[in-house]
Amino acid sequence: MAKYILRRIAQMIPVFLGVTLALFVLRIPGVIPGDPIQLIVGERELTPALRAEIEEENHLNDPLVAQYYYYIRDLVHGDLGTSYQKNREVVDILFDKFPNTFRLALAAIVVEIIIGILAGIISAVKQYSFWDVLVTVGTSVFVSVPVFWLGLLLQMFLGIKLKQWTGGSVFLPISGMGNPPDFVHIILPAITLASVSTAYVARIMRSQMLESMGQDYIRTARAKGLTDRAVIFKHALKNALIPVVTYIGIDVGALMGGAILTESVFSWPGVGREIFLAVSQRDWPVVMGGVIVIVFIVMIVNLLVDISYAALDPRIRYGGASE
Amino acid sequence: MALLEVKNLKTQFTTRDGVVRAVDGATFSLESGKTLAIVGESGSGKSVTALSIMRLIAGPQGKIAEGEITLAGVNILGMSDAQVRAMRGDRIAMIFQDPMTSLNPVFRVGHQIGESLRVHKGMNKRDADAKAIELLDLVGIPHAAERVRDYPHQFSGGMRQRAMIAMALACEPDILIADEPTTALDVTIQAQILELMMELQKRTGAAIIMITHDLGVVAEMADDVLVMYAGKQIEYAPADDLFYDPLHPYTWGLLDSLPRHDIVDKGTLCPIEGQPPSLIDVPSGCAFHPRCPYAQSRCTAESPQLRDLGDGHRVACHFAGEPDFLRRCMTPGGEGV
Amino acid sequence: MHPPTEPSEGTAPIQVESTQPGGAAARPSRTLWGDAIIRLRKNKLAIAGLIWLVIVVTAVLSADLWVPKYFANPISTEFASLESPSAAHPFGTDRIGRDAFSRVVYGGRVSLAVGVLAVSISVVIGLLLGTLAAYYGGFWDAMIMRTADIFFAFPYTLFAIVLLAILGPSFWNVFIAIGILGWPSIARVLRSSILSVKENEYVDAAHAMGASNWRIMTRHILPNAIAPIIVYGTMSVGGAILTEAALSFLGMGVQAPTPSWGVMLSEAKSLMVAAPWLTVYPGFAILTTVLAFVLIGDGLRDALDVKMKD
Repeated sequence: MAKYILRRIAQMIPVFLGVTLALFVLRIPGVIPGDPIQLIVGERELTPALRAEIEEENHLNDPLVAQYYYYIRDLVHGDLGTSYQKNREVVDILFDKFPNTFRLALAAIVVEIIIGILAGIISAVKQYSFWDVLVTVGTSVFVSVPVFWLGLLLQMFLGIKLKQWTGGSVFLPISGMGNPPDFVHIILPAITLASVSTAYVARIMRSQMLESMGQDYIRTARAKGLTDRAVIFKHALKNALIPVVTYIGIDVGALMGGAILTESVFSWPGVGREIFLAVSQRDWPVVMGGVIVIVFIVMIVNLLVDISYAALDPRIRYGGASE
Repeated sequence: MALLEVKNLKTQFTTRDGVVRAVDGATFSLESGKTLAIVGESGSGKSVTALSIMRLIAGPQGKIAEGEITLAGVNILGMSDAQVRAMRGDRIAMIFQDPMTSLNPVFRVGHQIGESLRVHKGMNKRDADAKAIELLDLVGIPHAAERVRDYPHQFSGGMRQRAMIAMALACEPDILIADEPTTALDVTIQAQILELMMELQKRTGAAIIMITHDLGVVAEMADDVLVMYAGKQIEYAPADDLFYDPLHPYTWGLLDSLPRHDIVDKGTLCPIEGQPPSLIDVPSGCAFHPRCPYAQSRCTAESPQLRDLGDGHRVACHFAGEPDFLRRCMTPGGEGV
Repeated sequence: MHPPTEPSEGTAPIQVESTQPGGAAARPSRTLWGDAIIRLRKNKLAIAGLIWLVIVVTAVLSADLWVPKYFANPISTEFASLESPSAAHPFGTDRIGRDAFSRVVYGGRVSLAVGVLAVSISVVIGLLLGTLAAYYGGFWDAMIMRTADIFFAFPYTLFAIVLLAILGPSFWNVFIAIGILGWPSIARVLRSSILSVKENEYVDAAHAMGASNWRIMTRHILPNAIAPIIVYGTMSVGGAILTEAALSFLGMGVQAPTPSWGVMLSEAKSLMVAAPWLTVYPGFAILTTVLAFVLIGDGLRDALDVKMKD
């Protein structure tokens, strides 16, 4: 098991380096339109002396390999540079916004788990029933729906229209986090963010349950006189749940990186939105720093998911047969 | 009264292409402590017969259309769901062909063995675990106390089957149904498993229904033999009678298609011509007639009933028992009529 | 955001080639593709999706013939602004007086074009690299798969946004970007599909009969391995359409005045109170079109009996 973990970490490192390299390439003048030095200087006048000073400071005259080295060195020390626009350390900016994205992702995961797993199980157990058809068609629809459109619709109907219909008393907030942040504000964004993933979870849960229930060991369990409930919720479910848990784990990472659309629609002050704004303002340190951090978190989460998969499936946790 | 009596069992499955008559009129009985072998090719209905006894036929496509199955006088087919569940694992237990897929990979072996004890005998976890160790020991698994915490994939094939036997015997059932228990195992392991089963039978006094296509297994273990073909019961006799005085042409074919190791002058094998029929479109009259070298016009028209020819030997053939109805193809040196 | 697809496992074995031509209902087909078509025909949802898709594609491709004539020119701003839906303007008009219905239809061109083109790029690159990786194995396999891993490490939407920031937002760059982002999935699916087919014994049998590597690859392995790609590709078109809409919504994709469903939605955002219909219809168009691809993809997957691991 330890060997398995080490191997996975060893696989991760070159990929992470590859990511840093890809991002580093973006920083090379000429790759992205716009003069980076002008961006750093901003409004101030760019004299040749100032230019030389900045170039020196940022190692821009050194060979590329050296620049990459400095880049990695800074990274390891947690220095992601300074924002062009805001004159703040990138790390500070991200630190501010990350908890918000994390909160949103967590809320979405909760929705995903509860609704997705339940729907999947019910759909599989009562195959071909009305419920099953509802879930099957419903998941197909939710997988096809544009997330941001769903957000807009929710804003429209549960926010604006609901407010109109109830004369302003009952409605769900449609933007921001609230000041001070409160629970009500997270409802709509969380539902929006969770929607597509919940559909996937339900689908996977359903297909895994169906597969599990068709296995020989289910017949054995019945032959031992176990009740239907025990057969389904103990024997079938435990097997079926493993891939589902894996998917949800991976989804955590995906949600963190993909929340940008939801955050934009709901003006949720999270990392995704921050990065997007930085892209429009050409604030590359923030963009690169943000992406690196998200990639890193996603990798760690995926590693944890892999480990937990090995832990959950006894066939991987313990080796092969012994006489 | 026999421990288990099956009368005219008919089990069917409704499919898109028609009604599959998987079992079409099986009648037999089983005494305590005895072993009944049910023999036949794939698709002959032997497994379905066993599953019917356990009421494990999956509706709505599958159903037991007709018949009576009585266990110590109580009709199994009339039982409520709760009663059936109480019976399964406790009074009748079953082991299946492939122990790897028949054991749940995510639960420990000891846990699975102890499950029937917890469900039927109300044992708590500690007692059930202790009994599981005893049972593993009983079926010949070394270091039972450690192995009980292993997962199925950590056992070898033979050991898994032993574990399944332990699981089946946990509640000391009256009847053990074994559906091709050795087919998926190596030949040497096969012998061990069969020996184990016979030993346990002597110890516990359980009756065994052994489902197999292997006549060698039948010869080892069976007291009585039931031969099935296309869902129908075509011969039913004590084991000795079946081997030394078989009366149905299909049985002759089965025995003749066995390569014999003990014959020096080996002639050619006499396989049975043709393929087993579809269970939806069963041939008219006698189901075996398209492949029977002795078939006559009566066989196409009329379905033979199971006739008792004395000493508990029953055959479903129009001509069985007639003095000039002789076995034509004989392995050299083998016994003929 | 990822293309709508479903994790599972394995591939379909090829069946004996039929000697009968074409096979109507009377003679059940024995080829992989023949069987698949029969199964597909029975799948009502997939047929519905196919019909809708045909309607949409025909309507969209022939737009020039009927939209300006019966409705309006999509970029003409001559109409009253923010009119609610009526007979003349089934989807209403937008803030600067353009007819929303014609914009939705013409927007369909952009979405479908991006969808198909992007997936084509992904499939071409993915097929090439996936086959190379599976066929040569070893160093090439490692290189290609590590590169794919690097692509996978980036969160999809962010990656697309950054890529477009570099390339500059436009119709062309959008489908190139989506295409580039899509090859790793295709390569991975193809590679695992090829590898599992390679394991099958009939490949050994072909070897034993003296078939050359190339022949084995093209005649035996690829036809079987290709089935998951067809399914994945179909569903990817749906995903590409969603991605294009999202990017255009954020302003990183197709630029005004070219009508695109995503652009229309971003314009509609600020008009939710004044003109709710502007939000509803373009989004609905996206939903139904993508749904059609998803249903067809599902149907293909069931018909070809493909199970794919994500």
